[in-house]
Amino acid sequence: MRTMPPRLFLLLPLLASLPGTAAAEALRTVPQDVSYCRELAARLAPLPGAEKEPARSLAEEGVRLCDDGYVRTGVAKLRRALKAAQGR
Amino acid sequence: MAPPPHPRPGHAAGRPPPHPVRRRVQQHPGPLWRLLSSTSFRIALLFATLFLLAGLAFTGVLWWGTAGTLERQIDAAIRADALALAERWREAGDDAVAEAISERLALDAEDQTAYLLTAPDGRRLAGNLEQLPEDYRTDIQWYAMTLLRDGIPGEARLYVVQLPDGSHLAVGRDVGEKLRLRALLTEGLAWSAGVAILFAFAGAWLLRRWLEERLIPATATAALIAGGDLSPRVPLAGRDDEFEALGRSMNTMLDRIAHLMEGVRGVSDAIAHDLRTPIARARSRLEEALETSDDPAALKGALERGIADLDNVTRVFQAVLRIAEVEAGARRAAFAPLDLVPLLADAAELYGATAEENGQTLRTEWPKSLPLTGDRDLLLQAIANLLDNAVKFTVPGGTITLSAEMQEDAVLIRVADEGPGLSAEDRQRVGERFFRADSARATPGSGLGISLVRAVVQLHGGMLWFEDGQGTQPDYPGLTVCLGLPVA
Repeated sequence: MRTMPPRLFLLLPLLASLPGTAAAEALRTVPQDVSYCRELAARLAPLPGAEKEPARSLAEEGVRLCDDGYVRTGVAKLRRALKAAQGR
Repeated sequence: MAPPPHPRPGHAAGRPPPHPVRRRVQQHPGPLWRLLSSTSFRIALLFATLFLLAGLAFTGVLWWGTAGTLERQIDAAIRADALALAERWREAGDDAVAEAISERLALDAEDQTAYLLTAPDGRRLAGNLEQLPEDYRTDIQWYAMTLLRDGIPGEARLYVVQLPDGSHLAVGRDVGEKLRLRALLTEGLAWSAGVAILFAFAGAWLLRRWLEERLIPATATAALIAGGDLSPRVPLAGRDDEFEALGRSMNTMLDRIAHLMEGVRGVSDAIAHDLRTPIARARSRLEEALETSDDPAALKGALERGIADLDNVTRVFQAVLRIAEVEAGARRAAFAPLDLVPLLADAAELYGATAEENGQTLRTEWPKSLPLTGDRDLLLQAIANLLDNAVKFTVPGGTITLSAEMQEDAVLIRVADEGPGLSAEDRQRVGERFFRADSARATPGSGLGISLVRAVVQLHGGMLWFEDGQGTQPDYPGLTVCLGLPVA
C-alpha cells in the first residue's frame, strides 16, 4: 500500500543531500541503435573468451535481439557477453 | 420640545447597564475534548512525542548509515573514475579517453553509467550523454538530475571536470537504488509516526481509565465527606504505591479533622456548661435584689457581685481566646532570646507573698542563668498558672518548690506542691479545656490554667509531664509539674 508521506519527512532527502550540488534539467542519453550492437559485437570478437560459454550464447542472443528490433535488450546481452568474456 | 427619553429601569436605580452576555453558556465537553484535556492524555502525548523524536533520531542514524553511505560511495566511485579518465587524457589525449569511455560503457551490463567527453567547442567526442547540463557552470562540479535513457526517466548524479584545454569530461551514475531506499525509509517513518499517534491515543485512553479507577475510592470518599458525613475513609488495598499513599494521607487528615471537630464540640459544650452557671447565678442575684431589696446599699452590693460574676465570665473567655491564639502559633513571631532566671524570680516574688499569706513556704532553686529562646510573656503566664495551682492546692503550712536546671539542650522547670495530687487517669486528661479533677471541684478555677500551659509548651516545642509530688500526708501526696523547654 502506497502512502503519501508527511511533508516533514520530505525534508529528510534535502537534509541528506550534499552541499555544492546543483539540480540540473533532465539529460538524455544517446539512443542505442543497431550500429552500437555491431560495435559491441566487434569489440567482443577478438577477445579470447568470446567463443566460450556463456559469452558466446549471450552474444548470439544479443545480436539476434538487436536484429529483431529489441536494441536495448540486445545491448544488455552483448554487454554481459563482454563481461563474461573478460572473466568479470 | 421633545420630551426627555424615559430612563431605563436599570439606570434609574443606579445599577450598571446589563452586560450583553449575562449568562455564561454551560458547556458540556464531549468525550474527545475530555480526553484531549486530561492529564493522562498529555502524559501519553509527551511519551508519543518522545517516541517520535527517538524514531527521528534513529531514522537519521539509519539514513546516514545506509542511503548516506550509498551516496558517498557512489560519489567516491564517480570522482575516482573521472580523475582516472582525466589522468588518461593528460597522458594520451582525446582518443585514448574516448576508447576508455567506450570500453567502460561496453562493460556496463546494468546500464547505470553515463559519460561524455566534449571538445573545447562543445562538440561531443565520446560517451552516451547527448550534452552537458544546460545550467552547467565551471564552478559547480556536481549535478543531480533526471536522466532519460531511451525515454525512461531515472535519477542520476553527474560529476563534470573541465580539462586544461577547455574540453569537458562528465561522469555519472544512476542513483535509483538510493532513491528507492530513501522512499522505503520515508514510508517506514510515516507508518511509524502513524502508529505512534495511534498508540498515543490508545495509551491516553487506557491511562485515563486506569487513573480514574485508582482515584475512584478517594474521589468517592471526598464526595461523601463533602456531603456532610465525616465518618467514611478511603478504602486501602494494601499496595505500596502513590495512590495508597494519597489514601493514607487523606485518612490521616480526616482523622485529624474529626478529632479537631470533636474537640471543638467538646469545648463548645464545656463553654456552654461552665459559663451558663455563673451567668445564671449573676442574673438570679440581680433579679432577686431588684425584686426584694429597697436598700440602696444592698442593691449596690448585689450589683457589685453581679459585675464580679460577669468579670469571671470575661476572664474565662479571655483565657479561651489566649489558648486558641497560642495553639494557632501566632505568637511564634515574638520569640526572642531571653534569660529565664529573672522571669522565675518575678513569678516567685508574685506568688511568694500569696503563699506566705496562706502559711505556705515557697522554695526556689535555679542556676545563675538559663538562656532560652521564646516568648517571655507566655512563659511567665505558664509558670504563674502552675504556681497559682500549687498555692491553691497545697495544704496550709505546706511547701511549694519552684526549681529549674539546665540540661543538655533543654531547660527543665519543676513546680512541686503538697496538694491532693492527680490520679493516673486525670493526668491523661489534664490539659483538656475546662477539665477539672474531682478533688478540685471545691477549689475556685476554670479548668483552663493547665490548658494554657500545655499550649505554651507546645508552642515552644517542649514537653509537659507530671510526676509525684513532695507531700508527706496520705491524702496529700502532692504533684510535680515538669516543663522541658528546648534552648533554641
